[in-house]
Amino acid sequence: MAGEQLALTVLMGLLLVLVAAVLTRLEDWRSYTPLAGGAGAAGEVGHAHEEKPGGITRWLTTVDHKDIGMLYGTYAIIAFAVGGIMAFLIRLQLISPDGAIIGNQFYNAILTSHGITMLFLFGTPIIAAFANYFVPLLIGADDMAFPRINAIAFWLLPPGALLIWGGFFTAPLGIGIDAAQTSWTMYTPLSVEQANPGVDLMLLGLHLTGVSATMGAINFIATIFTERGDDVTWANLDIFSWTILTQSALILFAFPLLGSAIVMLLLDRNLATTFYAVEGGGSMLWQHLFWFFGHPEVYILVLPPMGIVSLVIPKFSGRKLFGFKFIVYSTLAIGVLSFGVWAHHMFTTGMDPRLRASFMAVSIAIAIPSAVKTFNWITTMWNGRLRLTTPMLFCIGFVSNFIIGGVTGVFLASVPIDQILHDTYYVVGHFHYIVMGAIGFAAFAGLYYWFPIFTGKMYQRTLAKWHFWLSMIGTNLTFFAMLALGYLGMPRRYATYAFDGAIAPLAQITLYHQLASVGAVILLVGQLIFVWNFVNSWLEGPATASADPWNLKETDQFTKEFDWYERKLETAIADGGDDDDTLVADGGESVDE
Amino acid sequence: MDEQPGLSDQYRMASPWPLFVALGLALSEVGIFMGLFPVAVGGLLLLGGSVSGILRESGYVARPWRTFAQLGGFFALLGVIVVGTQVDLVTAIGTDPLALMGTLLGVVERPSNYAVLGRGMAVVVAGLMMLAAGGTGSLMARSTPQP
Ligand code: HEM
Ligand SMILES: [Cu+2]
Repeated sequence: MAGEQLALTVLMGLLLVLVAAVLTRLEDWRSYTPLAGGAGAAGEVGHAHEEKPGGITRWLTTVDHKDIGMLYGTYAIIAFAVGGIMAFLIRLQLISPDGAIIGNQFYNAILTSHGITMLFLFGTPIIAAFANYFVPLLIGADDMAFPRINAIAFWLLPPGALLIWGGFFTAPLGIGIDAAQTSWTMYTPLSVEQANPGVDLMLLGLHLTGVSATMGAINFIATIFTERGDDVTWANLDIFSWTILTQSALILFAFPLLGSAIVMLLLDRNLATTFYAVEGGGSMLWQHLFWFFGHPEVYILVLPPMGIVSLVIPKFSGRKLFGFKFIVYSTLAIGVLSFGVWAHHMFTTGMDPRLRASFMAVSIAIAIPSAVKTFNWITTMWNGRLRLTTPMLFCIGFVSNFIIGGVTGVFLASVPIDQILHDTYYVVGHFHYIVMGAIGFAAFAGLYYWFPIFTGKMYQRTLAKWHFWLSMIGTNLTFFAMLALGYLGMPRRYATYAFDGAIAPLAQITLYHQLASVGAVILLVGQLIFVWNFVNSWLEGPATASADPWNLKETDQFTKEFDWYERKLETAIADGGDDDDTLVADGGESVDE
Repeated sequence: MDEQPGLSDQYRMASPWPLFVALGLALSEVGIFMGLFPVAVGGLLLLGGSVSGILRESGYVARPWRTFAQLGGFFALLGVIVVGTQVDLVTAIGTDPLALMGTLLGVVERPSNYAVLGRGMAVVVAGLMMLAAGGTGSLMARSTPQP
């Protein structure tokens, strides 16, 4: 014990010395860097890369919103791959009723980690990636309001991921720290009773990602309120920024609450407090706190993707977004309502029926603003000149999947139906239609739509279409099979399902599980194509010559971020092909203003 | 020419501190909650140091050492409050301060034997180290005036 203590002390000491050394070097480098407008050879001053160090240091020290957006994006895609592999293992396991490949404990561990990874390490960060890169461009801001806080928010994520996945790394060492098996909802008393310190690590990691999201949200709110360009008013603020603003407000109310609930859980686990013990708040306390965060969280995840879809669909329909105002209003309405529905996750806990009825009413009411959006997207496309580019295909896929996901949600919101379908695969099907079929699809739409801007290249169109069709078919096969499984009574979160035929029709259940797994294979192939296309086109594709790869000027929809890109291309040519910078007047004040 | 493409280019677009602020926060949380005394102390030092650094860099404070010491004072106070929930400090100081010192040193020696007390002491120790270092730093900075 004392030896360990000593070793840890030495390690920490070394780490601090190392940090100090690194910092001295970096500070040195900085004091030699001429500030813009400072002394220096005339031609050199003001070039962006003079300010940015090279190589890896650039990425470790950047506070530029575009770089941070790229970091978020890279992080999210890596997390998507990790979470995807876990999902694939889950689907392989369930090919046969006895479990095909892994043990029950490991199944529980990857099930838990899959959910948390996809929601907190992929979902939130991929949205932050788009928001960081594009919101300042769309609203004509120089950067985020607090660039350094922006960087801090990002750098909290890698330690968060390491902690969340930590149990998987330490399990083989045999030191008694295993991956958590709490499921993503971390219900007490289960999560209090599992003595495994891996659960603590996961909770700490979650806490860090929550802090990160909150910092990011504050930053976006401040940016959108205070940093808008002179020509950007509330009346002409673009739809994506509106959704980010609403999302940030939701984050501001939801995530600190999750953070506190997690801290209480950690204290219950480690310091013998009794927040969630029967003699304390009881285990229902956790459910209330968790879902008061958890339901807004699903809208935190879906609103910005809806913003992307609202932004992209008009571009390829050759006309303006139908009912722009109503889309904004419905976004705000969803934001407010989403805090009033949390108990629809708890209908079967034996709560007061009168309460249950009111939560049912609000939950069904929230379908109205969602439907407003859906109708607006459809009307935007109605009679439009559709161009089925890959981003557009993903948007149409979004609408289609969102309808199935939303309608199944409305069914679940109805108490009598939920009492039968709760905790079955129907619920899993419902939310996957939304988280994969809608949020995932919008993320792809955004990645393809803006690919030329952030890479300066174009992706390979045929491969991208393959990616879309495989994703669309795979998603619908996998998750429709899950809806059917739910009707057959298959409970969720089971590692095996070799139960008595009197309980459920085993042959059919096996068949639908196998169908879902076939869908997962199709999805996997599609995502492999995506990664290959993405990386290969980025590294080896020819540079795009045009700043208008989507012919937006033709329909007068050439928006600010492409404006920015065009100016960047022009200045790059004027500069002699230099990539990322331009000459600015001393102090950066615009000459003609 | 339009200023947009390069407008953000004249800001300093790099800072070494955010990475370390995040790392410091992560280490302190892990150290405190998992009851790893050295990690908690080191993490808090890193957090305090990089927060002072980033505040200086962005011009919110002029004297980073003083900030470091102030943060240290804050941590120490926080830690004392936590320790105070476990030990009746007022009585102990009044009757037998030496014994109290002995107990607390015992905690530092074997923090894992004490749940809350060990964590409180980690915060106290980190705070005191920062106070000491920050105080010395400010004095030295004052005696060698910066250009
Ligand atoms: C149209 C509005 C929606 C309604 C009325 C609705 C309704 C519901 C209901 C009642 C449940 C609980 C089912 C149960 O456990 O018995 C549920 C679960 C869930 N919904 Fe929705 N939903 C809607 C939209 C969404 C959206 C947009 C998302 C994601 C962005 C989402 C994600 C989820 C998730 C993740 C769960 C499962 C939580 C869990 O138990 O692990 N839902 N939904
Ligand atoms: Cu919900």
